[in-house]
Amino acid sequence: MPRIVFAPAIQRHVASPAREVAGTSVAAALAAVLAEQPALRGYLLDDQGRLRHHLSVFVDGVAVRDRQWLSDSVRPDSEIYVVQALTGG
Amino acid sequence: MTELNDQALLRYSRHILLPEIDIEGQERLSSARALVVGAGGLGSPVALYLASAGVGTITIADDDVVELTNLQRQIAHDMTSLGVNKAESAAQHMRALNPDITVHPLAARLDAAMLAEQVAAHDVVLDCCDNFATRHAVNAACVAAGVPLVSGAAVRFSGQLAVFDTRDAASPCYHCLFPDEGEASDGPCATFGVLAPLVGVIGSLQAVEAIKLLAGIRPSLGRLTLYEALTGEFRAMKVPRDPACPVCAQRPAG
Ligand SMILES: [Zn+2]
Repeated sequence: MPRIVFAPAIQRHVASPAREVAGTSVAAALAAVLAEQPALRGYLLDDQGRLRHHLSVFVDGVAVRDRQWLSDSVRPDSEIYVVQALTGG
Repeated sequence: MTELNDQALLRYSRHILLPEIDIEGQERLSSARALVVGAGGLGSPVALYLASAGVGTITIADDDVVELTNLQRQIAHDMTSLGVNKAESAAQHMRALNPDITVHPLAARLDAAMLAEQVAAHDVVLDCCDNFATRHAVNAACVAAGVPLVSGAAVRFSGQLAVFDTRDAASPCYHCLFPDEGEASDGPCATFGVLAPLVGVIGSLQAVEAIKLLAGIRPSLGRLTLYEALTGEFRAMKVPRDPACPVCAQRPAG
């Protein structure tokens, strides 16, 4: 099963440790996490279910192509990494 | 190209000893112009390293004044800087470090018009600011002028670094990575903590990339570097261009 990891800046809102989730696409893997942790939804997705603009999702170290709906496929051994843009300087 | 005198050859000898830089690269640095947006946590090490490394002309912009809470991490300022504009204070310390360079402090928050003018007059821009709106404005100005952008950000224990150079057809821009102003912000440092040397780590990486660019060494494009101080981990993520990016899509495909 693919592994999903949330960067610490996201975990500050809702603690969500790295875990393995079912799914063959990023969207499916994320849906599995949100089913377990509905409180994360608002931080990750907007009202229409699209990825929020200050977030970026990487599969095996490469940014996803479909950043709106996250239809990119994942392999059973993939790592999905979700990053929040930092603004501080 | 600025020719180096004996004193400069001595000052920059540890650069010149590097075959990747050599006298030619050091002369390129002396002729180069860098714009530093923000003279805070990231801007401090950036400004000091660009100055010590001999970047010939450095413009540094910040509209804020130095406060005691800044001194925990903003190492271009000291006790004598309290109440002084940050760009002015940084400029003083840069000149003390290296009187051979020209420093232009700008005690202003750069609006779109000022950004367009300033960015076009420099060879590289270092984004060391503390908010999304400025980050996107700086990016737009860099794409419009075809000037490379070295972007850094740091808060709490986390840091991010990326180099964007849209003169390279394969390079993304900041907007390709984070498409717009965030609905949620990680907030200004005024309300959230920052580990003191974290800004040193990220600011130093920004200075490394800018000096590479200016000296003629290929920078690391299309990559987002993530640093987590708590775990000591670095991660390098690949960031391709967004072919639909409203800021940079009109240039030729990579
Ligand atoms: Zn772009």
